[in-house]
Amino acid sequence: MNKDLLAKAKSLGFSDRQIAHLTGRTEDDIRAERKKLGLVPSYRLVDTCAAEFEAYTPYYYSTYDRGDDEIRPSGKRKVMILGGGPNRIGQGIEFDYCCVHAAFALKEDGFETLMVNSNPETVSTDYDTSDKLFFEPLTLEDVLHIYEREQCWGAIAQFGGQTPLNLALGLQKNGVNIIGTSPQSIEIAEDRKLFAAMLRKLNIPQPPNGLATNEAEALEAAHKLGYPVLVRPSFVLGGRAMQIVYSDAELTHYMRFAVEASPERPVLVDKFLEDATEVDVDCIADVGQFSKPGQGTIVMGGVLEHIEYAGVHSGDAAMVLPPHTLSPKVIGTIREYTHAMAQELKVIGLMNVQYAVKGETVYVLEVNPRASRTVPFVSKAIGVPLAKLAAKVMAGKTLAELGFTEEIWTKYWAVKESVFPFNRFHGQDILLSPEMRSTGEVMGLDADLGIAYAKSQMAANAPLPLGGRVFISVSDAHKHEVAEVARQFAELGFELISTSGTATVLEKAGLKVQRLFKLTEGRPNALDLLKNREIQLVINTPAGQTPRADEIRIRTTAIYTGTPIMTTLSGARAAALGIAALKKSGYEVKPVQAYH
Amino acid sequence: MPKRTDIHSVLIIGAGPIVIGQACEFDYSGTQACKALKEEGYRVILVNSNPATIMTDPEFADHTYIEPITPECVEKIIAREMAELKRLGVQGKLVLLPTLGGQTALNTAMALHRNGALERHGVEMIGANARAIERGEDRQIFKDLMIKIGLDVPISGTAHNVEEARAVAERIGRFPLIIRPAYTLGGTGGGIAYNREEFEEIAKRGLELSPVSEVLVEESLLGWKEYEMEVMRDRADNCVIICSIENFDPMGVHTGDSITVAPIQTLTDKEYQIMRDASFAVIREIGVETGGSNIQFAVNPDNGRLVIIEMNPRVSRSSALASKATGFPIAKIAAKLAVGYLLDEIRNDITRETPASFEPTIDYVVTKVPRFAFEKFPQADPTLNTQMKSVGEAMAIGRTFKESLQKCLRSLEIGRSGLGGDGKPWRIGAEVYGDRDILPRDVITRKLSVPNAERIFFIRHALRAGLTIDEIFTLTKIDRWFLTQMKEIVDFEEVLAGTKN
Repeated sequence: MNKDLLAKAKSLGFSDRQIAHLTGRTEDDIRAERKKLGLVPSYRLVDTCAAEFEAYTPYYYSTYDRGDDEIRPSGKRKVMILGGGPNRIGQGIEFDYCCVHAAFALKEDGFETLMVNSNPETVSTDYDTSDKLFFEPLTLEDVLHIYEREQCWGAIAQFGGQTPLNLALGLQKNGVNIIGTSPQSIEIAEDRKLFAAMLRKLNIPQPPNGLATNEAEALEAAHKLGYPVLVRPSFVLGGRAMQIVYSDAELTHYMRFAVEASPERPVLVDKFLEDATEVDVDCIADVGQFSKPGQGTIVMGGVLEHIEYAGVHSGDAAMVLPPHTLSPKVIGTIREYTHAMAQELKVIGLMNVQYAVKGETVYVLEVNPRASRTVPFVSKAIGVPLAKLAAKVMAGKTLAELGFTEEIWTKYWAVKESVFPFNRFHGQDILLSPEMRSTGEVMGLDADLGIAYAKSQMAANAPLPLGGRVFISVSDAHKHEVAEVARQFAELGFELISTSGTATVLEKAGLKVQRLFKLTEGRPNALDLLKNREIQLVINTPAGQTPRADEIRIRTTAIYTGTPIMTTLSGARAAALGIAALKKSGYEVKPVQAYH
Repeated sequence: MPKRTDIHSVLIIGAGPIVIGQACEFDYSGTQACKALKEEGYRVILVNSNPATIMTDPEFADHTYIEPITPECVEKIIAREMAELKRLGVQGKLVLLPTLGGQTALNTAMALHRNGALERHGVEMIGANARAIERGEDRQIFKDLMIKIGLDVPISGTAHNVEEARAVAERIGRFPLIIRPAYTLGGTGGGIAYNREEFEEIAKRGLELSPVSEVLVEESLLGWKEYEMEVMRDRADNCVIICSIENFDPMGVHTGDSITVAPIQTLTDKEYQIMRDASFAVIREIGVETGGSNIQFAVNPDNGRLVIIEMNPRVSRSSALASKATGFPIAKIAAKLAVGYLLDEIRNDITRETPASFEPTIDYVVTKVPRFAFEKFPQADPTLNTQMKSVGEAMAIGRTFKESLQKCLRSLEIGRSGLGGDGKPWRIGAEVYGDRDILPRDVITRKLSVPNAERIFFIRHALRAGLTIDEIFTLTKIDRWFLTQMKEIVDFEEVLAGTKN
């Protein structure tokens, strides 16, 4: 290819991939050709002064205008940390937190740290965080240039979420030393077939499941498993297009409109475990550094029990650390499985496992041998910087050397609650689902579980009311449990309001209920009361697979009037616990330094 | 003037959970402030309910409260810390720095000021005092002050109920009208009304969402060019511009949802100097004594009329962008100014030679493109307006706008490797077009005239379909300079495609 043409394309910002597609070659060809021609970017400093004074903070960007290159050579061993790119739902500040910790940890251990990221909102892109900052896109092309130009010793791809992970295999193929758990192990965890084979070998149960590359295969799998099934595409973060499906019609619709299935990117079909309790585990291990099994250390950093039942994305669920309802036997099983999988995947660094517990049976839902969204929460809750330790383990230290070999079981409670952007998207139903939609999280800390939960609600800008009226409307599936929850609120001094179906159930249980019109029956109805601020709390669980329009209106009106709303009975129970605790003793504040 | 020695402890309020309009940029600014104040030997107390932040790592503050950011809770923290100071027999003061935790921190601090808690506990606010915050945040007071110092503002009026809102609309006399609720985050509850019915709906919603039940009804500046200036001021009244930012998307799209470019590209030096002088006049009149502020301007492209839109008397999302774009650490310097230093007393870490009173100069172009998540909210309207909807952003640096724009588009993590020509098909509703297909004109026109997340790519489609720069300008009101730059990219795409055997 003509050198001038290629040089011009690069100076206009064209990526190798664009050039490859436009000229009918491959990205690898273009890169090879450029390198042969010596056409690589130069790195310039961001220095506040347009090069008038010497700059001491190495903050770089690349350009193809053919000028000076300002990289300063150094003899130190260099580790590149790949950031997470722009924030989106499912990949946010939690991963940036982990990348920042990697930079701090490796600096401490004498490495030169190079941060690569394109997100201006973050601490990772502060020039103070790493030894060198490269404000660059996270693509194979851009990252490889930096790695090669700086002659790095290794790169960390496990801390920045899915973005760097998607690059890991390509980077490795091009000679990049991906430190920590091998990209092959990560692939085992991501590839359904390899993963199922591993679980069979370790004798660990997972929910019955299948794979589908088209609509017919999906229906066949669903019939074999029986509805409801959980369907989702492979290789995504944040539960993109993940859905619980109850019928053939819903499944057909999903396969036609919601996903692009292909033999390379099959759709996963899992039996959905109704009313199971989900548990997240973040563990740290160095076992991959040792050749013999049994050597090295595996430690569960934190075990988090979800408050909502299975089916809510773990990024959206409220969670409690340590678990508040699991039996010691179940926790023992969870520990055993976690250790077995960390050993088998030869983990060096962090691993996150999601379990579903039904009765005393523990199923593995998912394993990710990398930093997870809950790592910062767990680190704060137990007072140990897991990401920092993990980075050191990835660069060669053992957990024994770092002095972290024992699990920490706190004597206080840490509750995680999620925060949603529904007030920005008018008309959008707010029901929690397997598709993650929260943008952020808060933590409530206290010696009392009820207070910790209440604090998490206050922090999430939905403080629990201490009295007033609670509007209860639940689906038929939940009617058998609703009376017990309603009684708790009645005993706390709340007035109960319901529409016909739920009201009848509550009256039968001997509770005093004020009956209210359904939206279609007349006025005043729940919307009027909500708008007049005459309802202080809403408990509304979805009527069925497809929510009814009037339910959606009640839920969105609650959001828009700022009325706290619980869409699961487990959430409502936690609220009652919180209100009872607040009414009994109020709450106090305490710095984290006094907890650990 | 050296730093204040009467201060012993500084309480910093963080921004709480990540929400649209208030993301991890406040972790960045808060972390910098904690480090800067610790460096100066102050005892740092922090409150933030968000455990995923670096600033809540226990080593960044002496006391870290992972507790709810509510006036009640922060008062409990103040009481506990005052008791602690007493117990330790400390002479120095406890002060509150509210300007680094976004709107959440500012609102909480103002609530504590209004309910008398700060006075009760003897806690002084540093960085910006209550009077300056009020003058900057109350839209009517702000406008009156601007007119007083001879600056132009959009015709508008505030309303506390629907009747008042109707009266203001009557006075302005023509649609569309902009409705902005007071004291809400990222414009929550605001909107653009094109007719009476929409006006009533948005005004009602805005009044309900505003914590003080107040909305501003304003003449529409749709299609005007939009600019931002990041300004800093110290106690001796030194002022500097850290960064000038131009919005690629004209007025009508929230700044957080706009593609933005730094430095400003389409103004003459004279126009820029007028804006710079106006920025200093604003920060002085509002009375932000120390620290950073963000000031937004609009310019009518037809006649050059310049109006002030608003000011944030605090570190903002744009400050983080300006810091990354220039290398100048706004939050860190703001924290040092708040404890008494002057700009010329603070050394620039980057050059180690120049003081912070040197205005940064940049010899490259920075582009920021927002990242949206509409796929997660299929029932909601994906049109961009004055209420922010993006969930993140990417930034890229290049020697030209063209280089930085293409780098930024491939940073977005939406599967694109630039403006186009990367082989990825285009999905528009149920239709799928090939990457190099020429799209139907009606589809292009629709996607250009109504702001949306993909509009930047439709400028390419438009150019490839043969629309002229003037036609695209008429539909989008995006400055012709930007469109001409993009045309160079699109034209070269054809040159490259032409070499394919």
